[in-house]
Amino acid sequence: MNRATVVKLASVSAAVAILIALPYLISSYYVSLISIVFISAILASSINMLAGDANLVSLGHAGIAAAAGYGLAWAARQGFDLGGQLAVAGIMTVITSVVYGLISMRTRGIFFLMVTLAAGMVCYGIAFRWSSVTGGDNGLTGISRPPGLAEYWQFYFFVLAIFVIVTIALVITSRSPFGLAMRGIRDSETRMRSLGYNVANYKFVAVFLSGVVAGIAGVLAVWQFEFISPSAGGFDRSAMVMVMVIIGGIGTLFGPLLGATLVVSIEQVLSTYVDRWPMILGALFIAVVIFAPQGLDGGIRQLAAWFRRRRSPKDSPITGTSRDVPKQSTSTHQ
Amino acid sequence: MDPIFVLQQILNGLSFGALLFLVASGFTLTFGLMQIANLAHGAFYVLGAYVAVVTVTATHNFWIGALAGTAVAAGTGLLTERALLRRVRGREMPEVLVTVGVLIVIADLVLAVFGGHPRSVSSGNGAPSGAIVIGEFVYPQYRLAIIVLTIVIAVALFVLQKHSRVGAIIRAGVDNREMASAMGINIDKVFTAVFLFGAALAGFAGAIGSGLLSLTPGSGTDILLFALVVVIIGGLGSIKGAAVGAVLIGLIDAFAKAWLPDFSYFTIFAPMALVLVLRPNGLFGRAA
Repeated sequence: MNRATVVKLASVSAAVAILIALPYLISSYYVSLISIVFISAILASSINMLAGDANLVSLGHAGIAAAAGYGLAWAARQGFDLGGQLAVAGIMTVITSVVYGLISMRTRGIFFLMVTLAAGMVCYGIAFRWSSVTGGDNGLTGISRPPGLAEYWQFYFFVLAIFVIVTIALVITSRSPFGLAMRGIRDSETRMRSLGYNVANYKFVAVFLSGVVAGIAGVLAVWQFEFISPSAGGFDRSAMVMVMVIIGGIGTLFGPLLGATLVVSIEQVLSTYVDRWPMILGALFIAVVIFAPQGLDGGIRQLAAWFRRRRSPKDSPITGTSRDVPKQSTSTHQ
Repeated sequence: MDPIFVLQQILNGLSFGALLFLVASGFTLTFGLMQIANLAHGAFYVLGAYVAVVTVTATHNFWIGALAGTAVAAGTGLLTERALLRRVRGREMPEVLVTVGVLIVIADLVLAVFGGHPRSVSSGNGAPSGAIVIGEFVYPQYRLAIIVLTIVIAVALFVLQKHSRVGAIIRAGVDNREMASAMGINIDKVFTAVFLFGAALAGFAGAIGSGLLSLTPGSGTDILLFALVVVIIGGLGSIKGAAVGAVLIGLIDAFAKAWLPDFSYFTIFAPMALVLVLRPNGLFGRAA
């Protein structure tokens, strides 16, 4: 084990220890806030997986999350037991993910973005208009968390565990032959096609898998807020999630969490002081896209590399061999 | 089925389709030339609409309002292209992401300046108002005027694109950017001009749309969805496709609103999904 691995393991264990200790250290308000961060980060991870490995940036995944959330909420209101509620949420997730996959599997780049945007808006529209089932603009209220998760700290630990599991699962997927094939498709569809890969099928599976992750986030969000309304699936929501991914650093491991932390802080904390927080967030987003395409994660890595160089003058700053900058996937052209 | 009802729905569909064409043609023109999916297009629409409503209230002249809305949208488009998009030129994903950022900022700006209450342009004020009555058939003149006006604009666009020097330059730019600039065309200026023109069309659509649909800060993303569906069905970059898609979606939406009000979003989505599965490049689109 070299030094870098030790440092990495130590910092990850320290982070996990702090996260487990948090509910004993800070007030319930902040613990709930961190739960929201993790739920948003799970949704952001679902988009990040597609954006990083496949260069497919989605502007509609909030629609899948909302479909799952509405499934759960509707079943809860109908008096289904927990298993039944989760089954309905699961069916909704599968249906929407399959539809998203089918309509987007032959697209790429901005076409994919526009198609998912339209699909998400339709989810929003159905939630808004089909009021006999969805409650229309008022949404569905009074959905309580299952027993065992009712307390805010119990739910926090549950969300934390799900986040860790989802993140590990996504890392495994990304490192699997499937993930490799997706990166191959990202770099050249023509090459992969001539190697005998069915590009559309791979994209379908990728969208489906990310849809499942989005569905998990949707269920958790309903349990967090004990409420769901059409805006959960709307364009603004999808855009915010995409903003999290881009600001955090596209295709990076901690990008979604960093981005979710920043966006949720602005959304929930800054909004009590400043009315015009979406404008600030939008301007920040534009600045990141133009000036820091690698996002926060990339920025922190660059900063760390800079510190390392300063500490060990053996590394020439000109060749910059110790630079550890993630591959910039936003500008990949086919 | 009542023929008068059907005729009214057809005209409703055509007038909404006319509005969609104005929004979608600007979008598709920008995309065809610059490969930019300008999602801020919805924001230009809403900006034009609010400026028009406020100006009409102040001046009591509909056409001054429409002009002001068009001008403000065009100015914002110019600023977006010059100050922001230019910095990420040629990189498709950052370009579209910048336009998303612009959309977020303008939507919030509109909310801050004009408030969240639904508005609409006061009728009359030099715009056609009242209804046309033929026997039992009654229909608002304003909607008929939109249809006629849009047909004039559409024909002008076609003629301009096919038979004028400007149109030839734009077609050359669409076909081969490098070759066009090698022939001495300042393609950068053409980009700016087309982007500005697209924004102006969106602003104008917003101005006349504010008399047709209710106007809220969220109207921008609503109309953007419809425009996206129109261009995805018609084929990105094709004005002909935008016209066919707009009429199709306008009609489908009008009849869906009358017969299946709960699912009116779904009914425009179904044809889009069908087109995407059967012809991924749209009805009139070229292979990407």
